[in-house]
Amino acid sequence: MNNKNRFALVSTLALLAALQAHADTSGKALVKGHEYMAVTNTPNNLHLIDLKTESVYKTCEMPDRFGPGTLFISPDKTRAYVLNNNYRDIYGVELDTCKQVFHARLAQKAGEDARSMFSFTVSADGKELYAVANPMQRAIDHYVVGEPRMQVYSTDAGLDAKLLRSFPVPRQSYVMQAADDGSLYLAGPDIYKIDPKTGERTVALASRNWQRPGYSAPDVLYFWPHQQPNRDFTLLYTAARFADEKQDPETAEYLYGYMNINLKTGKTEVRDFAPLTELYFTGLRSPKDPNLMYGVLNRLTKYDIAKQQLIKAQELDHSYYCIAFNHAGDKVYLAGTFNDIGIHDAESLEKIGSIKLPGGDMAVSTTQVFIR
Amino acid sequence: MKHLKPINDKARKLQQASSEDRIEEVLAMTSVAGCTATTDPGWEVDAFGGVTSLCQPMEADLYGCADPCWWPAQVPDLMSTYPDWNKDALSSAESWRNLNAVFPKDK
Repeated sequence: MNNKNRFALVSTLALLAALQAHADTSGKALVKGHEYMAVTNTPNNLHLIDLKTESVYKTCEMPDRFGPGTLFISPDKTRAYVLNNNYRDIYGVELDTCKQVFHARLAQKAGEDARSMFSFTVSADGKELYAVANPMQRAIDHYVVGEPRMQVYSTDAGLDAKLLRSFPVPRQSYVMQAADDGSLYLAGPDIYKIDPKTGERTVALASRNWQRPGYSAPDVLYFWPHQQPNRDFTLLYTAARFADEKQDPETAEYLYGYMNINLKTGKTEVRDFAPLTELYFTGLRSPKDPNLMYGVLNRLTKYDIAKQQLIKAQELDHSYYCIAFNHAGDKVYLAGTFNDIGIHDAESLEKIGSIKLPGGDMAVSTTQVFIR
Repeated sequence: MKHLKPINDKARKLQQASSEDRIEEVLAMTSVAGCTATTDPGWEVDAFGGVTSLCQPMEADLYGCADPCWWPAQVPDLMSTYPDWNKDALSSAESWRNLNAVFPKDK
């Protein structure tokens, strides 16, 4: 092949590759039985990644503004529900077609602005969607902060979803997940168990108000509500354990731990797993071995929970907020922050691949792994 | 409070609570609530007083802080006040040069 022909061939291949990269993939149906990961990024994309090929399978373009992009997959794995439009609206998207099939604006009246701080989820039977709205009324020269409320929608309410009912909830509510028995677990100052039919609320797990002798109140920064195959709802905390009753911070031990609610059984657990020596934005237990805790921010680490010992640590190219496993538990996916997903071997923690997303940063988006 | 002078209503209430020995009524926030005056270390200095647990590079943390209005004094908030701040820099690692400083508008 002469140079001219070679150039023409290379140019054609490059053009084809570029066309493929920009091809409209919205109509590609997901394949039943295949494992996917869903994640959002700027400007306003919902990506479905095929975990077998570890490549972007399709991209759905979302309406309105991005932020935060937190998403849940419906229990029948046909839809994604995404909190977006600067925390103001929830969108339901049919995964096979990218068609928008649900839209709820959290504000309920003229002049009201209402946001949800990552605080929404879908019921275990897929029929209802719950969201905490933090309302604020704009007056001519001042704002009036309203009482936070839980808003309940039917998931078949369409593109102008109206409330089925609503009831008050505590301030500073953030992530929530729905249990198999129909109750809701809402994290706020404590973790509440809520009957979404009546609004009746009890404390499932004390957080700010926990009574652990010798411990400070926990500090929690957690807005990645992972849907785990074993139905665990997990949050990390840090806390001080004091040497004695003087509660001297200088002599205290600082610890990492996790709070867990199993959404299948309702069993709750609060357990320390490590000395606090570095920060993790997310942490999950291995699907293979529940005694192994993995954490990520500037390093990917693995702990033996029972021994409270670091087993391995892996340096990273940059910080990642959000950790996820495949169902087999042999791979760890690191996402959030920029627009690349790091693939790591769960045993060695070494980086074995990367997935570059079309578009910009994922920021605080949550990855959800599911089998269609 | 020896070196701090309250200049708004909320600060005056805090000082009043302190002088009336009602400090116990002040609760540490244990969760993110957005656009609140958080004093968590994290942007200039990490929780240990060093820098190794700050996000690396700092651009990795930029939109995670701008999106939920976390540290609104340090990072323009995309949530309410400057929603278009990053429109020319959607990938912060590649196009951070397009980000500009912001200034409050005249009332």
